[in-house]
Amino acid sequence: MKVKVRFFARFKELLGTDIVVDAATGIALNGLIRDIAAKNSEGYDEIFDENGTFKDFVILMRNGKRIDSTDAPQTKIEDGDEIAVFPPVAGG
Amino acid sequence: MIAIQKEDVDVGKLIDAAKQLGTGAFVIFDGIVRDDDIVEMELEAYHDVALKELKRIAEEAKKIHNLLSVDIIHRIGRLAVGENILIIVVGAGHRAKAFDGCRFIIEAIKAGVPIWKKELRKNGGRWVPGEHQHGTGKI
Repeated sequence: MKVKVRFFARFKELLGTDIVVDAATGIALNGLIRDIAAKNSEGYDEIFDENGTFKDFVILMRNGKRIDSTDAPQTKIEDGDEIAVFPPVAGG
Repeated sequence: MIAIQKEDVDVGKLIDAAKQLGTGAFVIFDGIVRDDDIVEMELEAYHDVALKELKRIAEEAKKIHNLLSVDIIHRIGRLAVGENILIIVVGAGHRAKAFDGCRFIIEAIKAGVPIWKKELRKNGGRWVPGEHQHGTGKI
């Protein structure tokens, strides 16, 4: 199934953005992002702690809606999903 | 007008366009690139989500503060020192509502609209840390 992952700000600089992946059926949100972030150790370390858990400040969205990062392991990815991963916002 | 765009806007024209029967006051917020020893500021947005959120904030502000008009233009791209980053034009029947509405909008933008700023200096860049939000827990 095709899934688009978008990183922003510092995460984008380290990992790229608008990444379309062919994700395995049944994969959870944390697993999906871990697999992608693993390609760049600095990017991975920005997002995940030493236990492979999202750092507290990392914000997740699925199809434009916030997902609590503690719910990521239970959030199953579906075909066509757009996942966004970003640091705290700083507009204005 | 609610927009996220590279181009600047004419604030005077926004005010003229927003004037209507019953308007007694406008309050304008103009956030600009401050001279913090930087060369430029680079702004990035999660465009579709950020625009939707700006529209939601504008509608909420209108309801809560009984505003007659709200314009929000957030700029993205590279901006030089002194350039406008964010323009908010709030029209209301009376000044108190206009001030309160404008404050409500800027604080809501700071708290939750997915836009980021990077300060570009001669010796590199630095992403401006956000003041709010947390990946765990709902906002």
